[in-house]
Amino acid sequence: MAETTDVLIGGYLSADAAKEDYEAVLACGARLWGAVVVSKDMAGELSIEQTDHMVEEGAAGLGGVGFVIGLFAPPLLAATAIGAALGAVGGKALHHKTGSKIEEAAGDTIPIGGAGLIVAFKHEDAGSVEPAVTRAIKKVVGEAEGRHVQALKGALADAQTKMAEQGG
Amino acid sequence: MTEPDRTRLPIRRESFQGVANRTLAGSQPDWNLIGHPTPPAGAPNVLLVLIDDAGFGNPTTFGGPIQTPNYTRMAEQGLKYNRFHVTALCSPTRAALLTGRNNHAVGFGSVGEFAGGFPGYSASLPRDCAPLPRILRDNGYSTSAYGKWHLTPDGQQGPAGPFDRWPNGWGFDYFYGFLAGDSGQWDPCLIENQKVIGTPERFYDEEDPYYFPDAMADRAIEWLHGVRGQETEKPFFIYFSTGCSHAPHHVAQTWADRYKGKFDQGWDKLREETFARQKELGVVPADADLTPRDAAFPAWDDVPDKLKAFYARQMEVYAGFSENADSNVGRVIDAIEELGELDDTVIIWIWGDNGASMEGTVTGSFNEMTMQNGIPLTDEMQLQLAERFGGLDQWGAQIMDPHYGAAWAWAGNTPFKWGKQVGSHLGGTRNPMVVRWPKRITDTEGLRTQFGHVIDVAPTILDIAGIPEPQIVDGIEQEPMHGTSFVSTFADAAAPEFRTQQYFETIGNRGMYKDGWWLAMKTERIPWVVTPDALKPYAPGVWDPDAGPAELYYLPDDFTQAHDLAAEHPDKVQELKDLFWEEAEKYKVLPLLATLSTFFGILPPIDQKTTFEFRGDVQNVLSGMIPRIYNHSYAISADLVVPEEGAAGVIVAESDHLGGFTLYVKDGKLTHTYSMMGVFVFKQVAEEDLPAGEVTVRMEFAADEAKPATGGEVTLFIDDRPVGKGRMDHTVPIRFSAYAGMDIGRDNGGVVDLAYEDRKPFAFTGTVKKVVFDIKPHLVDEDERVLHAEAHRGIAAHSLSG
Repeated sequence: MAETTDVLIGGYLSADAAKEDYEAVLACGARLWGAVVVSKDMAGELSIEQTDHMVEEGAAGLGGVGFVIGLFAPPLLAATAIGAALGAVGGKALHHKTGSKIEEAAGDTIPIGGAGLIVAFKHEDAGSVEPAVTRAIKKVVGEAEGRHVQALKGALADAQTKMAEQGG
Repeated sequence: MTEPDRTRLPIRRESFQGVANRTLAGSQPDWNLIGHPTPPAGAPNVLLVLIDDAGFGNPTTFGGPIQTPNYTRMAEQGLKYNRFHVTALCSPTRAALLTGRNNHAVGFGSVGEFAGGFPGYSASLPRDCAPLPRILRDNGYSTSAYGKWHLTPDGQQGPAGPFDRWPNGWGFDYFYGFLAGDSGQWDPCLIENQKVIGTPERFYDEEDPYYFPDAMADRAIEWLHGVRGQETEKPFFIYFSTGCSHAPHHVAQTWADRYKGKFDQGWDKLREETFARQKELGVVPADADLTPRDAAFPAWDDVPDKLKAFYARQMEVYAGFSENADSNVGRVIDAIEELGELDDTVIIWIWGDNGASMEGTVTGSFNEMTMQNGIPLTDEMQLQLAERFGGLDQWGAQIMDPHYGAAWAWAGNTPFKWGKQVGSHLGGTRNPMVVRWPKRITDTEGLRTQFGHVIDVAPTILDIAGIPEPQIVDGIEQEPMHGTSFVSTFADAAAPEFRTQQYFETIGNRGMYKDGWWLAMKTERIPWVVTPDALKPYAPGVWDPDAGPAELYYLPDDFTQAHDLAAEHPDKVQELKDLFWEEAEKYKVLPLLATLSTFFGILPPIDQKTTFEFRGDVQNVLSGMIPRIYNHSYAISADLVVPEEGAAGVIVAESDHLGGFTLYVKDGKLTHTYSMMGVFVFKQVAEEDLPAGEVTVRMEFAADEAKPATGGEVTLFIDDRPVGKGRMDHTVPIRFSAYAGMDIGRDNGGVVDLAYEDRKPFAFTGTVKKVVFDIKPHLVDEDERVLHAEAHRGIAAHSLSG
């Protein structure tokens, strides 16, 4: 039976909330392919925190995942933008060696004051990972067959599509 | 000297009783000429205290959870009134309190910001209704007011006046406070008499920061000492109108922390606890029933556990804020006592002007203006936004403008239903009152149960002072006061009812009281919801007020409005309905829902002015007076002189980081930051340095479309050359702030962009010669009309939070 990879994207209005979920995910007992939390403070300073055990090959092919922007429609939902922004940088963010690129991409897309979380994990661990993410304003999980580049890319794209379908 | 005719004001000067010959030879002076009016002998001092947005069940004095030792001290030395009523909205209660007349009759069917085109809603005091402070002043009292005013129309709060609608114009010799419906307590934009003096310098002192409630008491005491230094006998009238407990709930953490854990039981249990104490104290009859929770308020048990601490903190801060107000009123009382005049001072202290406020919506908010701007946010979002600004320990600090959730307000209004805005029910209309005056009140710790109304206060004060209502003021025949003195209750608990009939109306919610019966006619709209769908049933030609729900209560047997008798007494229902219409006609209540008229297409003419110019020294333009850039394309240009070494600082800034915009120079770069209520923050930075010399800079916002909160593109220019750009996905549709001002050449008070917070007020180091706002009309007239309507709906929505 083929392995399935999940990617969870969470959007937040505060770094505290995103980090709380990030810590909860790390402590949930599941094996993660990787997790990253990106936030921008009120002065516009960017912070990135990520696990260091990414599957190296995972990120390389994800740069082509397009930005998902312009999804806003009243009622206003800030978290949608954050989720979309994280989706946008996700291809880069999921690789621990691409920190500067994360900054470059997230600097353009993470709203001031906002934060986001991306977690990649084996589908079998969804029962542990997803309940640990309790504070996301917007939370979607995408999935794709496999565990390597194409799977991560597919799961991320799937997550972004679901984010869009939720109304922004 | 003969007793003057006090029925005509100003009191006519004494005629010259001496002799004035061609020379001093044989001339006889008359020294009475240089005197001034004096009150009747024995007229006492008066301290009138009004707490804002508080409920019957808030202070411990009336069984609530908030420690109010000074209120209790006054009650123990005086009387508690447990059937005293207000109007269910801020300005209307203040207008009625200070004029002795029904609020609609003096133009205040709604709040000061909403100056409508119907007599009952003009927000403009008629000249035939001279207010109490004017009467007292003209009769020889020294008069002063501190704190919240809220009786001046929004567009008249600048240096051009007119000042007859400011506190001095109402008869106060001295005023220190704010004109709007609310104010930050750390960073108010203050008024002193007829000048906007802005945010006090001590705001910038981090060791010993300014705090408005303290300053109110300081100023009142200082004024009192000044008056007594000059005149030892002249009685004073102090109107002490706290900004507390209206949002923003600003108080030092130490005050809030006194209540840590005190509200963990939630609002349902709090109501039960308060109700039990109210019965023990006797302020609620032993046979009264606690009214049930309406479905509009969530049950505490349904609040997710992870959010309970968030909700509890909201109430802790509100409680600490309120206790602080009690403490500062106590300081003023102590100062009067220290002068030896406490027993010669009548103290009337009303705890709340409209019940507690439910305008924080179900969730409460880190920024009170999110509701008014129609931004839907869940409680988790609100919590995260609070975390963004420092977390729950900072709920109460200047960094946020918090309002608690509606269910806490409902608990504060125990044992009644509903709260502010709901004129049909006691939650919005019945507030505690304490009166202390040892000279005439000997039944200390007494309870008075007569039905009273806020219009009765002014006639009572005049009665106490021995001053008649004037019949003519400034040559204008006066409308008699509608209130009745309740002095008869001071000495006699069994004194006859002095008020047997009273109408109530607030935003379509109506009450008609007569001889113990109360007909409650509430619209079905939830008070904090003003969406198009919620308002649709009230459109002209659709709404039939008589067809709506009507509940009937007999208050002598049912203190809390717990038992609806409408079905058993249809004739009484009809009688009171008919009586309401008679009263409504008589007191200019009609047309009903005039407050919401802008939602139904009844609009003032479109303002044709599109260009606004401010010279470089203009500061503290109040929030309702700024150019109305909302929902339009616009440009802000500035003519600058930049020194050779470069310049830094703010060119123009409106309000603060919780909603506002700023155009500034930092690190040599022209920058524009726009805060959409602290939820979204957009920033654009020029790609090149600002040159030296005479420079014109400009930011242009090109709106995407003609609709509220439209997004759009921003372009920055230096001398007409584009130097930077960016996008703002959302803009503020209605109003940046309830109180913070706009400044040229600096950013007074809280700053818009926290990137320069450490350099506040970040005054521009070059010269700002002038700043020009150019608001672009929409290309299609219909769009302009639609946006005009939206703007005025926004004003009306803001008004509901008065």
